[in-house]
Amino acid sequence: MKPIIESRLVKSLLMVVLAGQGARLVAQEQCGVCHPESRVEFDKSRHAQEGVTCTDCHRGDGETLDTDRAHRSDFRSLGDRQNTPAMCSECHSDIRRMRPYNLPVDQYAVYQTSQHGQAVARGDSNAAVCTDCHGVHDIRTVSDPSSSAYTRNIPTTCGRCHADASLMEPYGLSASLVAEYESAIHGRALLIEGNTAAPNCTTCHGVHGATPPGYGDVDKICGACHDQTRQAFIEGPHRDAMIAAELPECASCHSNHAIESLQPDDVVGLCGECHGLDSEQVTLGTKMQTLIGSAAQRIEEASLLVERAERAALRVEDYEARLEESRTYLTEALPLVHTVTLEPVEQVTRRARSIADEVEHEIYGELDRTEEHLGLALFWFYVLMTLVILALLKRRLRVPSETS
Amino acid sequence: MNDEKSTLLDWFSRRLNLTEIFSLLTSYGIYYGELDSRKPLREALAEAEQRPVALYSRWPRILSLIAVVLIGIELLTGGLLALYYLPTPDSAHPSLGTILRDVHFGDFVHQMHFWGGQLLILVLILRVLRYFVGGMYKTPRELIWVFGALLLLAAFHLDLTGRALPMTDRGYWSSVRALEIVGAVPIYGPLIHFLVGGGGAFITELTLIRFYILHVAVLPIIAVTLIYLHFSTIRRVGLGDAEPGRQVQTQRVLRSQLLTMAIVLTLVFGLLVTLAVVVPKPFQREADPFATVPGIGPPWYLLAPFGFLEWMPSFLPSWLSGMVLFLAFMVFLALPFLDRAQSGSLGRRVVVVIGLLVMVAWVLLTIYGAKVA
Repeated sequence: MKPIIESRLVKSLLMVVLAGQGARLVAQEQCGVCHPESRVEFDKSRHAQEGVTCTDCHRGDGETLDTDRAHRSDFRSLGDRQNTPAMCSECHSDIRRMRPYNLPVDQYAVYQTSQHGQAVARGDSNAAVCTDCHGVHDIRTVSDPSSSAYTRNIPTTCGRCHADASLMEPYGLSASLVAEYESAIHGRALLIEGNTAAPNCTTCHGVHGATPPGYGDVDKICGACHDQTRQAFIEGPHRDAMIAAELPECASCHSNHAIESLQPDDVVGLCGECHGLDSEQVTLGTKMQTLIGSAAQRIEEASLLVERAERAALRVEDYEARLEESRTYLTEALPLVHTVTLEPVEQVTRRARSIADEVEHEIYGELDRTEEHLGLALFWFYVLMTLVILALLKRRLRVPSETS
Repeated sequence: MNDEKSTLLDWFSRRLNLTEIFSLLTSYGIYYGELDSRKPLREALAEAEQRPVALYSRWPRILSLIAVVLIGIELLTGGLLALYYLPTPDSAHPSLGTILRDVHFGDFVHQMHFWGGQLLILVLILRVLRYFVGGMYKTPRELIWVFGALLLLAAFHLDLTGRALPMTDRGYWSSVRALEIVGAVPIYGPLIHFLVGGGGAFITELTLIRFYILHVAVLPIIAVTLIYLHFSTIRRVGLGDAEPGRQVQTQRVLRSQLLTMAIVLTLVFGLLVTLAVVVPKPFQREADPFATVPGIGPPWYLLAPFGFLEWMPSFLPSWLSGMVLFLAFMVFLALPFLDRAQSGSLGRRVVVVIGLLVMVAWVLLTIYGAKVA
């Protein structure tokens, strides 16, 4: 008997669920009858997947085909851009709705502090609102690679406005920033190498609170990733002096969008730019450059020697591990350069160099073939002795030959 | 002391046919005359010492003897290497590492084996060239040529299978290149590809174990048999350029021949040791079948056919170039049956000129092959 009761229960439950589902589908479909394009776009969105309906944003009555009743008094077309952020925040600032998705609910407030938000508040209809970056009906999650807010698509999305010279001109902003970013080290890492951990525009400027960083903030922003470098920079004299002189800290030397890692060879010119080419600061820069360059060269030579040792069938695992350690010291030297003091750089490069020297010395010891070559000389002495004896024996055997 | 020794020899003589055993050794170049195996060893040797025989122990007739010595060294060093080598793709390279690093004299034995193989191929090529230049394949000496050519072919195969065994990157990829060339040859190519498995483009564990069996058993037996047949032919027909009128005779030729062999053995061993110590073959990284190492051509002796295949216009089907290679090899093998010209005649001169042209073409194609590899 039990199975029947169970199956009846299941059946009736199923019917209730299906009926509800059907009613909902019918209810949504009514808007799509007249607005098929919007409907098709909306169906691709995350909102559609989560059961958000047309009337959740547009109000009105979605269950009727009567256009007057559908567009009744509370219906809103949402054509006015300025009101879009407030409309989105109706749901996105509601903690009870957002909690299951673990989405932050303070983004509307954050947006209002941004350059975009403030321009909108001033009545500037050109400033970006939610839909400019996220899309209108086809809004997707940030983790969806086809979303305009996906990390690798952010430069393009920002570039829709910020690479447009006619749009940027009234604000006195350069339209080449996005191109500069894309060709520089961070852009190449993100867009060409596909490293999704590489920073995009929002990593430095903020997401919804997008604002250019001010003096004194630049090193904090860069330091979020380059922590060691920032610690060294704070220890040195540059930070306070730069803020006082209204120079953007890190960007003063590294530039802001066209960021490249500076090689030791670039240092002298850079120091000279502010300090003068014959200043003691340039001498210091040259010294650090020499220290790092020579350590790198020693490591390079040692690793070539390790390759040679490998071909000579020596065990090189230990040498490789030690060279790796030496490379780590060299890597440490690069952040320490930002202290602009010689001692810490000298300390780590000395360690790096001495390990490479030690490895080289030991490998040369192992590769030394002097003993083998002495042995070979001795061997040939015996070979020649043997040949002489054999030749003498043969000579004794030889009898004058005759021809028949 | 002397008495004791002879007693021991007599003791064995009564129980073994020592003369027959020695007679077998003479088929490997120790002695070119015939032995009466019905007589006791002492008596037969005394007889052989008195018998006048052409002295075949002078340059360049000594090439076959050097080949025997080298084959002997290869068998010995190969046997020692086989004590530690493991023929599976995963453990082949580490086992070579063990041989080179941990086994006493392992590195030295490995170098000797490598350089011995290269010298053997060189000597066998020189031997074939000498037979050609000296016209030593004329009736009734056709078989000297055929066995010499086949021995060279066996040595190529020994080298080819050998260089794949340690699974080093250069060895692996030069084997694959060689298999590609062999694959272009009709009939033989598909047969070899079937035998080695992997379609000839890959070296799998089956390929490796088959290469191993070929390298340590099948091909050495073939090589030793061909050397035996070579000396048997020489004992029957003599070498062509020793004209009967100028035949050199000496007494005590057997002892002289043994001393010659000792000198050759010493010199070859000395050369090999020198090569092994002064120009050691580098220990290469382990091969990765999924990462082709660029710039690796086939072994040096296959550069000419490789150059030919590369030089042929690409719109021609590969079986056509393969067919040309195959026919060229068949002509090479069957040369004594094709070239019937008398020595000193115009036909003979034409053959020599053609042969020289082929050699020049071979050298040019080798240079071209090395350039495109």
